[in-house]
Amino acid sequence: MKENKQTVNRTTKVMIDNKNKTTPIAVKVDDLTVAYNYKPVLWDIDLEIPEGVLMAIVGPNGAGKSTLIKSILGILKPIAGSVSIYGKPYDKQRKLVAYVPQKGSVDWDFPTTALDVVMMGTYGNLGWIKRPGQKQKKEALEALEKVGMLPFKNRQISQLSGGQQQRIFLARALVQNASIYFMDEPFQGVDATTEIAIINILKALRKAGKTVIVVHHDLQTVPEYFDWVTFLNVKKIATGPVKDIFNDDYLTKTYGINYKVSIHK
Amino acid sequence: MSNAQLEIQLIASIVAIACAIPGTFLVLRKMAMISDAISHSILPGIVIGFFITQDLNSPLLILLAALTGIITVVLVEYIQKTGLVKEDTAIGLVFPTLFSIGVILIAKNANDVHLDVDAVLLGELAFAPFDRMIISGADVGPKSLWIIGSILLITIALLFAFFKELKVSTFDAGLAASLGFSPAVIHYGLMTVSSITTVGAFDAVGAILVVALMIAPPATAYLLTTDLKKMLLYSVCFGVFSAISGYWLAHGLDASISGSITTMLGIIFLLVYLFAPNKGVIAVLYREKQQRTEVLLLTFLLHLKNHTDERERHVNHLNEHINWQKVRSKTVLDLALKNNMIKFNKNIVSLTEKGDAFTSQAIDYIITNEDAQIEDMKDDFFLFRG
Repeated sequence: MKENKQTVNRTTKVMIDNKNKTTPIAVKVDDLTVAYNYKPVLWDIDLEIPEGVLMAIVGPNGAGKSTLIKSILGILKPIAGSVSIYGKPYDKQRKLVAYVPQKGSVDWDFPTTALDVVMMGTYGNLGWIKRPGQKQKKEALEALEKVGMLPFKNRQISQLSGGQQQRIFLARALVQNASIYFMDEPFQGVDATTEIAIINILKALRKAGKTVIVVHHDLQTVPEYFDWVTFLNVKKIATGPVKDIFNDDYLTKTYGINYKVSIHK
Repeated sequence: MSNAQLEIQLIASIVAIACAIPGTFLVLRKMAMISDAISHSILPGIVIGFFITQDLNSPLLILLAALTGIITVVLVEYIQKTGLVKEDTAIGLVFPTLFSIGVILIAKNANDVHLDVDAVLLGELAFAPFDRMIISGADVGPKSLWIIGSILLITIALLFAFFKELKVSTFDAGLAASLGFSPAVIHYGLMTVSSITTVGAFDAVGAILVVALMIAPPATAYLLTTDLKKMLLYSVCFGVFSAISGYWLAHGLDASISGSITTMLGIIFLLVYLFAPNKGVIAVLYREKQQRTEVLLLTFLLHLKNHTDERERHVNHLNEHINWQKVRSKTVLDLALKNNMIKFNKNIVSLTEKGDAFTSQAIDYIITNEDAQIEDMKDDFFLFRG
């Protein structure tokens, strides 16, 4: 994506690691506060997500993990604070971002096919009124192929298993050909095979230089799947490389109970 | 067929099409009740518009009434957002209030024959051809035909322009928002079209029939297809069919046209509800029975695979071992035999090669939690279904 490269060059650089390597900041959140009915669910969040990480957002139920993603994507309006994607507001950078909502957020009885759902991923680049054509269809078929769902392209979506539905959602994000992927619990209610298939695709995205941000529940798999982690519980507890900060200390701070994990290593 | 008869059928059909299009999206958005609310609460808008314009067919009146429709939606959402009552309660609070304001306004101020509550609720299609559209002295047809015809053209144009946006925001509002298609804009756009269609149509067919034409055809179509475009198309067909057959039913019974059209809508829905090939009640019951038998068959085959012991597989002792009634055992045995999955050797039942392959594969799927795959596999193995 040409447009993407230009944007990257113009953005602020930041130092990460101690290798003196500079990496652009893909997502920057400043003083973000979000409230439902005047009750804050996210409180003064500052967050910088460097480009090219595969990051888990972890935290207990009600910690505001989905809310954080939705606020970054402009689906929810914050009462304070701002968000930027490669240095610019989200509105100007939509095409750089793909979003996989929770599987339960849609009605799977909707009269449509797997292929059609994946095609929806191309709508953003088309803009208002313009219709998808052969090019978009071809892209959608390629995305279905990548998630191993090509044989099911004409299936009505209610006739897919939970894991297959999740793969369709993933294919829909892939077809957007974005730089940053936000995923809300992509592993929820999927079987082990699908989980492995999904994580392999996410790792491939990271390898291709994309930034992937995942709301994640299963603490056991964090060190294995992710290289970056954000602890969230209404406030941001910590963010950084998994190898540095994924420890009992922060887990206890986030989950409020005394965490004795022998998870990593 | 007289000219007037033809015109009535034409008006009814166009109203049906104009209603079916927004109706399809209302049904998919689970907002069917909002059309009921709009159809009633536009009454004060119509009354006030009538006082101002003194003309029931004025575009200003239609816009004013449509505005009341939008206000209804906004009020319902506002009340619901307080979290004190649920959506259906909010709807139940808003529209009777607005409707009754309209009723009082009529009772206090309008002695006009045309604007009475009966006309509003039931409409009177039979009178529609009497109100003519005269352009520079020439009669160009009934006024209501022109009104609803224009509304239909606008609706179709909007549908073609924004089909993709309507689809994505109806299916997944979150995705639509993240892609830059504001769900609020599309929502209020749809509400505006629904309100205008309701106002334009109800003069001809009445408030209750408008609701029926918006909800029944899409609900019927939903049972027959898994494709949004086809659902729209079927809705339009059911609407038009009900409109025309309803007209002739009314003609035969010498009864209300709008009542007869609604009756036809109900009958068609009932027929489809019972007999639809996949989602119909009978199809569902049949499939459940089939699946029950097939699960029993699989249980039986697993039993055979698990037990090499001849005593467990003797045909006369099967009942005791798997604890089934005779009738059930016989059904299952017959089905297994018909599909060449078992064979008899001196009253000892054993699996054929095919039966063995089927059972092994089914076990695999069950263990790996891919139960859904068993259904696909059945097509390969079964000559006869349960």
